[in-house]
Amino acid sequence: MSAVGVAAPLVRRKPPARVRRKRMLVAIANHSVLIAAAIAFLAPFAFITLTALMTNNQALSSNLWPHPFAWHNFIDVFTKAPLWRWTLNTMEYSFAATLGVVLSSVPVAYALARIRWRGRTVAFMVVLVALMLPPQVTVVPLYVMWAKFHPFGFNFIGTLWPVIIPNWFGDAFSIFLLRQFFLTIPEEYMDAARVDGCGELRILTTVVARLAKPAIAAVALFSFLYTFNDFFLPLLYTGESAHHWVLSIGLSEFRSLHQVQWNLTMAATLLVMAPVIVLFFLAQRAFVEGVTLTGVKG
Amino acid sequence: MKRVALVAALLALVLAGAAAGAPRHRSAPTKLTVWVGWSARELAAFKKLAAEYQKANPDVSLSVVGSINDDKIVAAIRAGTAPDVVSSFNSYNVGIYCGTGGWIDLSSLMKQSGISTSMFPPTTNYYTQYGGKKCALPLLADTYGLYYNKTLFKKAGIAGPPKTIAELTADAKKLTVRNSDGSLKQVGIDPFIGFYENVPERWILPWGGTYTDSSGKAHLATDPAWTKWLTWQKQMIDWYGYKNLVKFQAGLGDEFSASNAFEVGKVAMNLDGEWRVAFIKAEHPTLDYGTAPMPAANPSLYGSGYINGTIIGIPKNGKHTQQAWDFVKWVTTNTHALAEFSNAIKNVPSTTASTHSKELVPDTHFATFLKIFANPKSGTSPIEASGASYTNLVQNFATKWQAGQVKDLHGGLVTLDKQLDAQVSQAKGGGVP
Amino acid sequence: MLLLMAPWLVGFSVFFGYPLVMSAYLSLNHYDLLSPPRWVGLANYRYLFSVDPQTWTAVKNTLWLIVVLVPLQVLSAFGLAIMLARARQGVGIFRTIFYLPALAPPVAATLGFVFILNPATGPVNTILGHLGISGPLWFQDPHWSKPSLVLLGIWGVGNTMIIFLAAVLDVPRTLYESAQLDGAGPLQRLRYVTLPSISPVILFAVVLGVIQGLQYFTQAYVAAGVAAGQASQAADVTAVSLGYPLDSTLFYPVLLYQHGFTDFQMGYASAMAMFLLVVSFAVTLVIVLNSRRWVHEGAR
Repeated sequence: MSAVGVAAPLVRRKPPARVRRKRMLVAIANHSVLIAAAIAFLAPFAFITLTALMTNNQALSSNLWPHPFAWHNFIDVFTKAPLWRWTLNTMEYSFAATLGVVLSSVPVAYALARIRWRGRTVAFMVVLVALMLPPQVTVVPLYVMWAKFHPFGFNFIGTLWPVIIPNWFGDAFSIFLLRQFFLTIPEEYMDAARVDGCGELRILTTVVARLAKPAIAAVALFSFLYTFNDFFLPLLYTGESAHHWVLSIGLSEFRSLHQVQWNLTMAATLLVMAPVIVLFFLAQRAFVEGVTLTGVKG
Repeated sequence: MKRVALVAALLALVLAGAAAGAPRHRSAPTKLTVWVGWSARELAAFKKLAAEYQKANPDVSLSVVGSINDDKIVAAIRAGTAPDVVSSFNSYNVGIYCGTGGWIDLSSLMKQSGISTSMFPPTTNYYTQYGGKKCALPLLADTYGLYYNKTLFKKAGIAGPPKTIAELTADAKKLTVRNSDGSLKQVGIDPFIGFYENVPERWILPWGGTYTDSSGKAHLATDPAWTKWLTWQKQMIDWYGYKNLVKFQAGLGDEFSASNAFEVGKVAMNLDGEWRVAFIKAEHPTLDYGTAPMPAANPSLYGSGYINGTIIGIPKNGKHTQQAWDFVKWVTTNTHALAEFSNAIKNVPSTTASTHSKELVPDTHFATFLKIFANPKSGTSPIEASGASYTNLVQNFATKWQAGQVKDLHGGLVTLDKQLDAQVSQAKGGGVP
Repeated sequence: MLLLMAPWLVGFSVFFGYPLVMSAYLSLNHYDLLSPPRWVGLANYRYLFSVDPQTWTAVKNTLWLIVVLVPLQVLSAFGLAIMLARARQGVGIFRTIFYLPALAPPVAATLGFVFILNPATGPVNTILGHLGISGPLWFQDPHWSKPSLVLLGIWGVGNTMIIFLAAVLDVPRTLYESAQLDGAGPLQRLRYVTLPSISPVILFAVVLGVIQGLQYFTQAYVAAGVAAGQASQAADVTAVSLGYPLDSTLFYPVLLYQHGFTDFQMGYASAMAMFLLVVSFAVTLVIVLNSRRWVHEGAR
């Protein structure tokens, strides 16, 4: 008779074969659907790439595969259109706007999250309202304002300034995101700093900013992406001055510049997509974290 | 003291030397920016003209910008960033340019320089003024006619271009070739509104249709020409098959590329402007084609066609009005300039004098269009306060009609008339009539 | 404190408050930016609601988009997230593949789609042709242009999918286990555990989708312009390509742009903007109030 005192080791019983088979079938089904979906999602990219490598005549026909691979298309694109100029303009816009958004939204979000003052909830409500408003609602008077305002004879219309400047005064979405994040920072940190005699501004720059790095990085990333892809506002203000076009406008006008050479247009499309995708691969974690922050904590 | 005097003397010498050695210092030439709609080959021709003017007028330097369209002009005027001289490919927005003062009234400048409207053909005068203000001058005109592919005609056994609508219908059907699956391979003529140059105002001319009655109100419902044309057009489209035609068009080359459907023989007959002659010469010189007026609904109208043209003017708030005017005056009335430009881009000369210029290179294809231009029954589209929106609304209606979305043609036209009038009234700043 | 709020306060008044008030004022005037505003009272509104032939088309198109695209986007994002959550191998790769299209700039993506869906020479119809199916006319057909835009919208659903994925992965296993013990099958677990737990995220996705639907401009503008160009429209007749084909892609913001920035009618465009404002408010309010019924707060 074996000793009863010895505890028998925990043995994980394998589930019966029937259940195992069912689970495997479900997993296979799941994977198949995923693979089919992945093919569907990748297909457009594949078609665009293949077209970008065709000659112009092939692109206009129903050929699916390029016959000679026209790699030089990617270089031709730069000589056919001022792609560098557009990229420069886009970079100027994105960097200036992102910097402005971060610098101006952080203090505001902090004030809304952690400092107690009267009217705080009202102010936050107003931020939410600003978030929900379509830009078309304010676009006409703003355009009129910029058209009539000529300090020192400077014309704002035709430049990207009317699109950049508002970002230096806080952006509703970023404020919202940052405020939600700030709310999760334990009060103790701030209280400790206050006890040490720090003013609110000091707390913000030293304690909070360091703790909120992921949120600030997410805000910067989104801001950069949003301005990189922005079409409507640049169209409005720089639509007729080609020198200041950003990539999104340049790409949509590319077709009319040189009578729709679709192979070059697709090559240009890929080139415009490239920096964002590269950025994604480099900053994958920041991306995913940031996107999650918006939704889950929203 | 002596040192100072020495330095002063040296300085004076240096300055004197500099003054003597330096070339006679003229004030820098005034820079004028000129916006035009042309691009590529045609832009080069205009730039050549500008260079000629500059050589004769060294106090002015011209900076020409091409590929301009009405949207850009409109935006620039609104924002106050307009250039010194501006031109548009068509007259659709003259109502707005003149009515709002966006382009300045040239009447006093014209009087000053001794230019009178009698120098220009009457139709061109009509489409360069509105509300008593003459805010533009014509810079070469456009007329529209029928281009037909002689090779395809011979193949189908057709002797000459169609002159009546019945002939047009029969020829178009003979010249259409379908693939084995029913899709279209070659089309006789494509009357689809929105295809290449097909807009209602160009088609309605040979049918004798007009837009407004004597009081200025839209009368498309009561003018029988519109109903006749729209009915014929839809019948043709239904014969081709609406979806077949759309699919066929989606596979065609760009209008202004070397793969233009007519130039490569995919379309046997085409309504097009007189400039196509120059394009064919440059891109497909071996194409065997002919030009003729568009077939007419009744014989007295045969030989007429739609006229429009490039217009040129001076935006308000410009800084160099006098010099801008000097250039505009030269380019629109100088017979030599007009003849040279007309030869280069094959547009119709826009002053009565230049149409008789000996410098014009004779061209059988082009001669057709000169005749259409001179035909007294030829006309243009109405100039209204709502600008291009007027004809756009009609075009919108026509595209819905051809797609089969309008069940009652007469009722639809009645509504269209009301909408056109309301639009004009709203553009004038009034309320809803 | 005031110092911290200062930039936003200034920005809000200048770039938000002032334009809102100004918009209301301009909507009662006739203004073309060349001559001073001329008072016309409610004439613009009367024109908008009873005379402009395109108003109701634009409203219907935008409503259609919201009613069709938003649920489809939420469903696809959710569906993909569930499958990703279940998958064992290659999750990272799949996730990247599904997310990449969301990174494509809207203009680039739209151009790509219009080209791919060219009814005559595009790869999609060519492949369908090989399979014996006569493909639709996509962006050239007024019945298919909005569905084509919907396809484009679903292609870019990556952002929402990531959010759903995070939320789904966040649901505590214990909830599932206790449900399983109670005898709940997989579908019931989905309905009674997963969905309620992630309901705040669903609300977020719906609200965001609706807001984006009310502002939908770029893709419609670019697609219409390019598709019209493919039908080889004459280059010199302006502004007829907006809403191509046959006003089927004429969404409310597109019409607003046309009236305000192509036709000069800035007073009228302001009236349109005011209407959009009221509708945006109303719709968002309705959704948020309605959500109290099915959103479970504090599920984390």
